[in-house]
Parts: sequence; structure tokens; C-alpha cells
Amino acid sequence: MNGMTIGQYYPVNSRIHRLDPRVKLVAAFIYITMLFLVKNFWGYLFAAFFVSLTIYASKVPIIYMLRGLKNIIFIITFMLVMNIFFTKGERVLFSIWKISVTMEGLILSARMAVRLILLVVGTSILTLTTSPIQLTDGIEYLLKPFKRFGVPAHEIAMMMSIALRFIPTLVEELDKIMKAQKARGADFDTGGLIRKAKSLIPLLVPLFISAFRRADELAMAMEARCYRGDYNRTRMKEMKLYPYDYRFMAVVGAFCIAVIGSRFV
Amino acid sequence: MKICSGNILFRKKLTEIGDKMNMIKSLKLSFEYTQYNEEKESKEHLLALKDIDLSVEKGEFIAILGTNGSGKSTLAKHINALLTPVRGTLWVKGYDTNMEENIWEVRKTAGMVFQNPDNQIIATVVEEDVAFGPENLGVEPKEIRKRVNESLEAVGMSEYLNHQPHLLSGGQKQRIAIAGVLAMKPDCIVLDEPTAMLDPQGRKEVIDTVIRLNREEDMTVVLITHYMEEAIQAHRVVVMEDGAIIMDGEPKSIFSNVERMKEIGLDVPQVTEISHELRKNGLNIPGDILSTEEMVETLCQLKSKT
Amino acid sequence: MSIEIKNLSYIYNKGTAFEQTAIHDINISIQKGEFIGLIGHTGSGKSTLIQHLNALLKPSTGHILLDGEDINADSSKLKRIRQRVGLVFQYPEHQLFEMTVYKDVAFGPENMGLSKEETDKRVKAALENVGVDESVHEKSPFELSGGQKRRVAIAGVLAMEPEVLVLDEPAAGLDPRGRDEVLGLIKSMHSNLGITVILVSHSMEDVSRLVNRVIVMHQGRIAMDGALNEVFSRVEEIEALGLRAPSISYLMKGLNERGFGLPQDIYKVEDAVDCLLKVFQPGVCK
Repeated sequence: MNGMTIGQYYPVNSRIHRLDPRVKLVAAFIYITMLFLVKNFWGYLFAAFFVSLTIYASKVPIIYMLRGLKNIIFIITFMLVMNIFFTKGERVLFSIWKISVTMEGLILSARMAVRLILLVVGTSILTLTTSPIQLTDGIEYLLKPFKRFGVPAHEIAMMMSIALRFIPTLVEELDKIMKAQKARGADFDTGGLIRKAKSLIPLLVPLFISAFRRADELAMAMEARCYRGDYNRTRMKEMKLYPYDYRFMAVVGAFCIAVIGSRFV
Repeated sequence: MKICSGNILFRKKLTEIGDKMNMIKSLKLSFEYTQYNEEKESKEHLLALKDIDLSVEKGEFIAILGTNGSGKSTLAKHINALLTPVRGTLWVKGYDTNMEENIWEVRKTAGMVFQNPDNQIIATVVEEDVAFGPENLGVEPKEIRKRVNESLEAVGMSEYLNHQPHLLSGGQKQRIAIAGVLAMKPDCIVLDEPTAMLDPQGRKEVIDTVIRLNREEDMTVVLITHYMEEAIQAHRVVVMEDGAIIMDGEPKSIFSNVERMKEIGLDVPQVTEISHELRKNGLNIPGDILSTEEMVETLCQLKSKT
Repeated sequence: MSIEIKNLSYIYNKGTAFEQTAIHDINISIQKGEFIGLIGHTGSGKSTLIQHLNALLKPSTGHILLDGEDINADSSKLKRIRQRVGLVFQYPEHQLFEMTVYKDVAFGPENMGLSKEETDKRVKAALENVGVDESVHEKSPFELSGGQKRRVAIAGVLAMEPEVLVLDEPAAGLDPRGRDEVLGLIKSMHSNLGITVILVSHSMEDVSRLVNRVIVMHQGRIAMDGALNEVFSRVEEIEALGLRAPSISYLMKGLNERGFGLPQDIYKVEDAVDCLLKVFQPGVCK
């Protein structure tokens, strides 16, 4: 189960790792927004340049970025095919039956593919360089202003970090349950959609029950360690902004200007 | 703790603060829970603890033995104020657990480690999990850092500071859990069957850690267990059955009651059983031998006499 | 019924950076009716080995023959293999999922495609064999105590009427009474139902009460394989593997080092008592 890039933190000491999680979250948000503002080749170039720079600075081996892409390769291919063959345009390259491949289609699908790839790689950098607890701390801080509107910032952050922590544990448990049911003759591979869905019950029921039991025990353990919500809580790793955070924000700013500027080229 | 008392006034003062002298003290502690039948109609009040009188002194290592259903876990949860008595009182370092305002102080003083290693770990990185306790207590960040390092050192897991807990073995996870409790600087640790889900290697790691904490750091330890090889290492063994304490004494005197222990459904060390049987058959040896070495010595001495 | 394991090896994550050989070159021969204890540390490969017996894992190299036939030769026969070789995992109560005890135990036979009557027969027999009373059949398995749940889970595998029953640490997490009950159950299943039993355990002492053959695994290989009392008397060898022999073996060894000259292959309390009484009360009739 090492192939999952979700919540898969790659611990290494790099400039990007040391950045404040809040800065990285906001930067990721801005980056994604910018991706949708890109209009032409120059914009994509600036985005690719920015991403490559960040990957290099993060010291995370490229293979981890590519892992994230592996998961969406089906979507990309599907999109490419759809757009190549079904976009109406003027500059027809060739036709098969009534389906024509146009230049516009080719360009459009290339654009969408590049955008998607840049999006996934960019967000992968975020999760690879920020530990789940840092992420949830960052989210909690950024949500704090919304507390007055009733948003339970701390609770949301706590729920997220616990969920992230238990993903590998529950996956392991699912594997065990599957093996145990297989040993009793369960078959998860054959049959139509309905049959396969039914065969999930002997997997999901025990998993849910186990998850509830874990939640109960975890809550007790948290209380035993004096957890009482956000009352007077301090953090060992305080979030403080340092000069390098400001420098990074300047780089992000420059990136924004470049992308917006490219729209006028 | 020996108290040298002189005059009556001094003695009176001692009885007043007597509860503060003990780390843990309970008086007629009772706990019951209600069980509803299927139609949610009739209630059954099941007495989980009956009139428990227990006192534990600072620096003591006591083992609480009992089969499932004996009430030992329920008692453990009272020490940490996860449960409060329905009748009677429990004081931890003088704090009455019945009073709501004392709860957090009690939980800080008597830290608790649970049975399932996985379901106590909250964070994805070891050091962050150990920091959870002090963070909840509002400890200053630099101090938390210091405590995390010290606690991991105390359980021998310093090199795992940045590791992901879910990749560790059961014994290692439990040591992290103990570190997490130590980081709150408690006076007492309560461990509720901490080794039940571990392999022999893991069990050894955890118990060795606990014994060291008791001997070197003067940590009061309450170990709930059903493994007698763990209980024989304690200063004192308390045996529970059906919610009541039925035996309380040193390991030797408890385990030599071979028939009674077996009746309850507990184990005695094989050596103890052998010495008991041999004695029953007329051999002149003590019936409370706990270790193989002691047995070998005793039999050798006996042989040289005949 | 016979099982032949020939040159079995298994490598996890073959061809990746995480490649790890879990078991090397395992050769074991199992005959009908044997009661085998499989002992080893966590990481010795015991879990990997037993998952090969019912084809949950496929060998990287080597073969497993059930009555002379390779169990992995025909993937359509997997269900039949899993019926003949029943595997009970650790903490089997975690796999319970049905609304009633009866239905959960029936899961195995139903998967085998048996008729309602045959299923009913088997479910009732299995539950009786594990000592679960009829009054409990219609209850939800989640209402039961830990020990009862475990017995229901074992019944779930028994209901398939396997010829071989493999149990991974069946006493894990139970108190002494619970442990004695489960082990006693397994012992009677072996003698009453005539099935071959393989018991995986960490505890030499638990195993010493039941089995007649002991296989010790270490770092993915077979380190020792022989009759119970023969293996347990090799105390130094066991220690060298990082395991503990039963306490009584240590006692015998200690006494023999001091010149007592006692048989080394004693591991039961009664036998030790008898033997020592003979030494100190030679004249007394026993």
C-alpha cells in the first residue's frame, strides 16, 4: 500500500518542507486559480517553470510526483480522446467515418491534459512536503476567521488529521478482513455489478464496526491525555512566519504577475 | 513510607491529610452500569465494582490480576477519572475524582495506557503524538519539545522521533503510548492490559520499560494484567473477582494459593505449582517458589540433606 | 489426505524496491490426523506460510500439493481448496458481519453452494462443536462476549467441514480461562472430528498441551521439525532462535546441570512432580 500519494508525506529537510503550512496552502490555492487563468502557451510555460523550480527545491524524488499522475492517467486519456475526436473546429486534419480530428481539438485536449497534470503535480508537492498534522494546523488557522460564522475550525482540523492517520490502518484491516472472508469461500471478483456490490457487505460491515470501536477507544485515549477541544491548547511546532516564507510569497506573487501578464500577449 | 509520629496533634494532622499521603486511595468504591434488555424496557443494574478499598503508595508497583469480568479494567478507569464512582470515593494524590473540577488534575497525575496499541495513537509522526498530551495541557512549546525528547529517551525510542507510528511493531507502539503519557509528567501510570495484544518480544519490551520507570524514576505503577509472569515482578499483587478485591499481598503469598488461583481461573507459574504439589506430597520445601532458579536451589539443598 | 510443501518460497513486492523474501525453500510433509504446532517470532514467516496452504498467496517458487495435486494449478478450483483447508485468522471475531449468529456461520457453506438442508445441518453441527448453545443462534453476533464471538467465528470455518484446520494464535488476547476453553475446544475437535490441525503460536507452553509435532520457523526458514518432547528438550537451540522453551524444560535443564540426571523431555507439571517425587521419595509407591 505504498502507492498512495494521499497524505503520503515524504520527510526530508528542504526549503519547501520548512515553509509555513499556511503559506503553502494559500500558495496552492493561488496556483490552482492561476492555472485556470492561463490562456496561452506562455502561461503554461510559467506554470511549468514554477512547478519545476518547486519540485527541485523540495528534494522529493520525481517518482513520487509521477505516482500521483499514475492514478489519473485513465481520466487524462479519456479526456484526450473525447476532445480530440469530438471538438468541432475548422482546421480538419483527418476523418474517420463522421468523426473528424481537428487542430482545435488537438490543441484543446493538449491544454486540458497539461492543466490537469500541472494541477495534480502541484497539489502533490503540497502533500509531499507538508505532514498531515501541519496541513490540518494550517487549515485550522485559515478557517479561524470563520469561527464567528459557526465554523468549528479546530474540530474540522482534528477530524481531518485523525482520518488521515487512520487511513493506512484501516486499509490494512480491510486487507485482513478480505483474506478471512476469502478463506470462507467469498469471491470478490466474479459476477455482475450487483453481485459484486453485495459481496462487499462482508467486508464493509466488519470494517465499519471496527472503525466505530476504534473511534470509541481513541476518544477515551484522547480524554485520558486531557484533550478538551481547543481549550488552552498550545502546539509544539508553532507556526511562525520567517523571512524565507516572505521570500516564497514574493516568488508566488511574481508567478501571478507573469501569468496574468501572459494573458495580454 | 514510614511515618514516625510523636504527639497526638501530629497524628491527627496526618489522618486528615492521610489521603494525600497515598498516591491512590479508594474507600468503598462501587460502580454499576445499567443494561437494558432487547425491548429497552427493563433495566438491570450490574454491579461492576463492590466496595473497593484500595490504597497505593508513591513509588509502588502494584499488579491487579483478574479474569475478564472481574472489574479490573473498570477500576483502572476510575483511577484516571474516565469513570466516576456511583458510591464511595476515590482520591488520586488527594484529589477527589467525584468532583468535576478535579478531573483534569487527576488525569494529569495518573496517566493511562490502554490495551490496543493502534487506538491510542493520534498523530502520523511519533514526536507529534507524544506532544499531544502536553499540548492539551497548554505547556509552552519549547518545554513540550524538551519533554518529548526526554520521554522518548525514557522508553528507549529516541531514534524513532520522525517515524510513522503505524509502521512500528506492537511493542514499539505501546512504548510510544507510554512516552505520550510520560510527557504529561504524571506521578502515576495506570496500564490497562498493555501487553494483551502483543507478542512475547513486545511484552518484554513494555514490561521492562515499566519496571525501569518504577525503579529508576520512582514512578507509581498500576498494572492491570492477566499474565502472571508480569505480576510476579510487582511489589504487590491485588486479585479481583466479580467486582471485589479478594486477595492483596506480595506475589509470593498470592501465588502460593495455587488452588484458589486456579479456581478463579488464573494461572500460577508452573514452578509454583510444582513446589505446591511436592509440598502436598510431603516434601519439606516452601510452597511459594516463584522462579526456576529458586526451585533449582531449593531442590539441590534438599538433595544434599538427604 | 496429505499435504506436501516442496521448495516453497515467497517474495513480497517482487521486482520493486521493496522486495522482501518472506519464506525460503520450505519443505514440509503433513499427514492426516497430525496435530502440529507452528512456532516462531513475528517476522519468522509463519503467517506467510499458512496463507499458502489455502491458496490465499501463490508461491513465488515451489509447489503445494494436496493429495498429490498442485493447489495452484487450476484457479477455478480455489473455492474447493479453501473448503478443504480451513484457515482461522487471528482475532477471527473481527470478521463477523451477519445479522444473526446462524447466518454468519452459514456464510461459508452458502459460498460453497450447498443446499439449504445441508447448510442447516452443518451450521448446527459446527455451533454445537464449538459449544455455542441453540438459544444463541438467532442473536446478533455483536451482542456476544469476546470468547463467544471467537467461538462463533471458528464455527464459521468449521461449518465448511475442512479436512485441515489451520488456526493462527487462537488464544490471542484471551485471559487464562478463555485460553484454556479455546485450546480445549481445539483439542476435542481434533480428537472427535479427526481433522488435521495446525496451530500457529508464540507460546511454547500453550502448544505443549496439545500437539504431537512441532515446527519452529526462524527468519523465513524451518529451523526445527520433530516430535513435541524431542524439540522441547533442545533448550539451547530454542534459545538461540530467540524463543523460550516451556518453563519446565528450564527447570529440568537447571536440575540436570546440578547432576540430577532427570529426563530432559518433560514439560508437563504432573510429569515433573512425579519425576521429582521419585527422586526424593524413592520408596513411596506412586
